[in-house]
Amino acid sequence: MTGDLTAEIRQLLAELTGDARPLGAPRDTALLRDGIGLDSLGGTVLLTEIDRRYGVDIAGEDLNLDCLASIGALADYVAARLATP
Amino acid sequence: MIKCVIWDLDNTLLDGVFLESPDQPPPANPGLAGLLHELGRRGILHAIASRNPPEAGQYAERVTGHSFAATRCDWGTKSAAIHAIMAELGLTADSVAFTDDDPMERAEVSFSLPDILVLAPEDMSAAAGWPQFSPAVVTDEARRRGELYRQRRVRQEEARAFGGSRDEFLLHSQTRVAIGPAAADDLPRLHELSVRTHQFNSTGTSISEAELAGLLVSSAHEVLAVRLADMFGDDGLVGGCVLATGSSWQVPLLMMSCRALGRGVIDAFLTWICRGARQAGAAHVALPCLISPRNVPLRIALTGAGFRVDGVPGQDAAPDAGASRIAVYTRDLAKPLPELPSWVAQ
Repeated sequence: MTGDLTAEIRQLLAELTGDARPLGAPRDTALLRDGIGLDSLGGTVLLTEIDRRYGVDIAGEDLNLDCLASIGALADYVAARLATP
Repeated sequence: MIKCVIWDLDNTLLDGVFLESPDQPPPANPGLAGLLHELGRRGILHAIASRNPPEAGQYAERVTGHSFAATRCDWGTKSAAIHAIMAELGLTADSVAFTDDDPMERAEVSFSLPDILVLAPEDMSAAAGWPQFSPAVVTDEARRRGELYRQRRVRQEEARAFGGSRDEFLLHSQTRVAIGPAAADDLPRLHELSVRTHQFNSTGTSISEAELAGLLVSSAHEVLAVRLADMFGDDGLVGGCVLATGSSWQVPLLMMSCRALGRGVIDAFLTWICRGARQAGAAHVALPCLISPRNVPLRIALTGAGFRVDGVPGQDAAPDAGASRIAVYTRDLAKPLPELPSWVAQ
């Protein structure tokens, strides 16, 4: 489940950045700044899209936004939320 | 409050169809061209979304004598064009109006973007009298808004062509940020920012000039103003905050114009506040923040700057929908702080 989600999130990041590099990025790649390079607006678009696709409102639940630490953290969070309806 | 009107061209801003008479394209609709100028004086931006070749946009600028903050002339849907314009200008749907003579286009936009105010061209002149189109305060920054967004367009084009990192581009473009105590002259603009900012606003409520004036003379408070300029233009006062200083610093209000988005200003401002607090001997900085879908960009900036919320309620304790929640974001100043970028005036 997490594996599929990791691939889906890499795909989503590639779409948002218009860049193929996220497709091959390791799971521990940071989403902001030095990693994928999303800024605060890019991060917002990502969270909005996650909510739309998976119904997981990260911005309303994870106030510390630890999910944005890495691709893997985001995939694990969404997977855990989908597993506990 | 409407910040931008997005116009269709054929049989709306133009009295005819652009491609039907290539030798002599139709003139501007005089009533609507007048409205462009009137709304522009109130600080409202204009943009074009039209199913036409790109030269239609340039033609419309010539024939109306007005420069548009963003132009999308292509063959996609109007809602896609509006999405792109909102992203380019950093606008949310509820601050945008769209006008088109074609009821099908209006329906398509209303369906995909329900928060947008959709109007027929014949209703535009009455709408201009509505409160959404009539800001109470029109500051110098507001009057220059159209010009500032044109500078922004040039800056974005240059940034795309630049190739280096964002920080390198900020240096290259001679970015200058000045942060300091607000003066009495700054209060109308700070009030306006408290009304207009959403994506970078910690409280979601406005603060009056009188309240700000009271804080300015309070010995327990500071009001800060942030100014931004670069080689493309001077954006003037783009942000500010209220500080309650003491053994720990509180930030009851922090706000930043979306015009400063992507230019490193919010990160620099948070660093500036934290370094100032540490220098004054404070142990931490606490910033109460409304938890709203609208200010996610601010919350991403806060967590990126090392602010944390303690005692986050569990997922099963999610509050009722619609209830406003405030969480206190705290920065422990014992932990390392980033350096201020060189382009921030000390």
